[in-house]
Amino acid sequence: MFENRTIGLALTVPAALFAAALFILPVGILLSEAFKGDNGFSLMAYVDFFSSPRNQTVFFRTLKLAGLVAVVSAVVGYAAAFCIVSLPAKSRGRMFGLVTLPLMISPVARTYAWLVILGRTGFVNSMLVNMGITDTPFRILFTETAVFIGLLQLFMPLMIISLVSAMENMPRDAIPAARILGANWFQVFTKVILPLTREGLVVGGTLVFTGSMTAYITPAILGGSKVLMLETLLYQRVTVANDFVAASVIAMILIVMAFSANVLLKQIATARRTRV
Amino acid sequence: MKRLLIATTALTLTMGTAASAQDKTLTISVYSFAQDEFKELVYDPFQEQCGCKLVVETGNSVERLAKIEANAASPVIDMAVISTADALSATRKGLLQPIDTAKLSSYDKLYEIAKDPIGDHMAVGYTFYATSIVYRSDKIDGIESWSDLLSPELAGNVALPDVTTNQGPPVLYMLGKAIGDTDPSLTAPIELVSEHADDIVTFYVRSSQLAQLMQQEEIWAAPIGRFAWGQFKDNGFPMAWATPKEGQTGGMNVMVMTKDNGNEDLALEFMDFWLSTPIQTALAEALVDSPANSEVTVSDEIADNLTYGPETANNLDLIPADVMLDQRENWLDQWNNKVMQ
Repeated sequence: MFENRTIGLALTVPAALFAAALFILPVGILLSEAFKGDNGFSLMAYVDFFSSPRNQTVFFRTLKLAGLVAVVSAVVGYAAAFCIVSLPAKSRGRMFGLVTLPLMISPVARTYAWLVILGRTGFVNSMLVNMGITDTPFRILFTETAVFIGLLQLFMPLMIISLVSAMENMPRDAIPAARILGANWFQVFTKVILPLTREGLVVGGTLVFTGSMTAYITPAILGGSKVLMLETLLYQRVTVANDFVAASVIAMILIVMAFSANVLLKQIATARRTRV
Repeated sequence: MKRLLIATTALTLTMGTAASAQDKTLTISVYSFAQDEFKELVYDPFQEQCGCKLVVETGNSVERLAKIEANAASPVIDMAVISTADALSATRKGLLQPIDTAKLSSYDKLYEIAKDPIGDHMAVGYTFYATSIVYRSDKIDGIESWSDLLSPELAGNVALPDVTTNQGPPVLYMLGKAIGDTDPSLTAPIELVSEHADDIVTFYVRSSQLAQLMQQEEIWAAPIGRFAWGQFKDNGFPMAWATPKEGQTGGMNVMVMTKDNGNEDLALEFMDFWLSTPIQTALAEALVDSPANSEVTVSDEIADNLTYGPETANNLDLIPADVMLDQRENWLDQWNNKVMQ
């Protein structure tokens, strides 16, 4: 864009300095707590953290729920995105607006709505009882299921948006061409759509996975302390136990998991590209 | 002539106030709760009285204590209001100085439990609250004991406070008392709760969350602080406040003075103002804080929403601050390992 590359680089300096001074440096100082031992550098804080069975449960629960939300988002997201891009331009805009609408509402309000919907006298249970599926209402609130539903609703729009933009960039005649050449819909999806939209899947997957892993409000409200996740545990360590070391360890784990998810998804996408 | 004289006097006083306001500044650290009411009922009238500037810093206890600790060498905060356990924690870190109660004209009017809650006059209580059980009187015949929370009648219809909340440990302590074990480790009541964990709908963190669960008929009973009673009593269901045979528990918030702040006189003046009968009455009538000043009198309707009166105040079974502070980590570990599994 700039003829002289130096000018381009120079223009990034203020933003870079701003981020370094106000974000990277403080976060670095905070995270360094997790590597301090009696004699300098130490990984004991991590050993301590993972030696607790409760922490292991919380860690795997977080990983499981975030992974599940990302996978289900991708499955539902592909179907939704495919429908949206197939619509005429005017309707597509409307549908896209409907998908993005929840993102404009505070996560607190959205999550509180689930408290009402999933409650024992809420919409879901009333419907199940009225349809005769069950006599006594199910307990959905304060279970992993409730957290899963809340997170899915919270982050699925990000997956749909990423996939819609990826599909819009797909050559328009790729699918008809594949169909003419005799591919069934499953083959069209695995051999054409998936490889051509992998960038969108990587972006969407990373956003949904890291978002689900680091969300605090939804697990706190819908899961409560019975369904502790890494971020609710982090909050507890800081506010109650004043244990900044364990909190730094959890923060570091969350950062590593977010980066790993991104790298892993990119790897999967690259592997697919080489195969295709 | 008289009017002119009054006007001149007022003007002189105002000008004097304006000049000294620049010299005198008091920095206080308070909970973020009900700040509009505090501004109207406490801060603004005090600024008028002292002719000084009041700088109010708010936040949760952890942030505020961290700030006091970080600036210990040259204190920014002159006085703070915190829980008794936090006050003791700050005392042990050498961040506070004793309060010269001889300079507090309202000191003798305080209930006994508020006078020296953590010892050595390091803190003075300004408000306290009772914690008991709120329940649906149409669903349950009555609650006689804290152990009724874990009765088969309430299984699947009760919420308990999380151990990380202010209500958590006192409720566990009362559960322990109900089964005849008042050991500060709370091992027996935590064990008891873990055995009934599946019968408990949730371990709540905020009383506002509880009000909604009660409204949605998710729960029929839960222990709450008296300050939250107003959110329940008019929710459209028949609600009752239990008086269990083991008594009521609760908590207290205190005022503390930071060490070597150089602003002790003004801080004491502010504390005395806050503890005075008119201000404590105004805060009680606005349902902001229950009064620690025994001279405060309010109507029955107001009193119904507060922790009020000598009988209630003197019978509160509070966990001592040192037990709270020394055991907190132990409680949390036991809780996470037994109840959260």
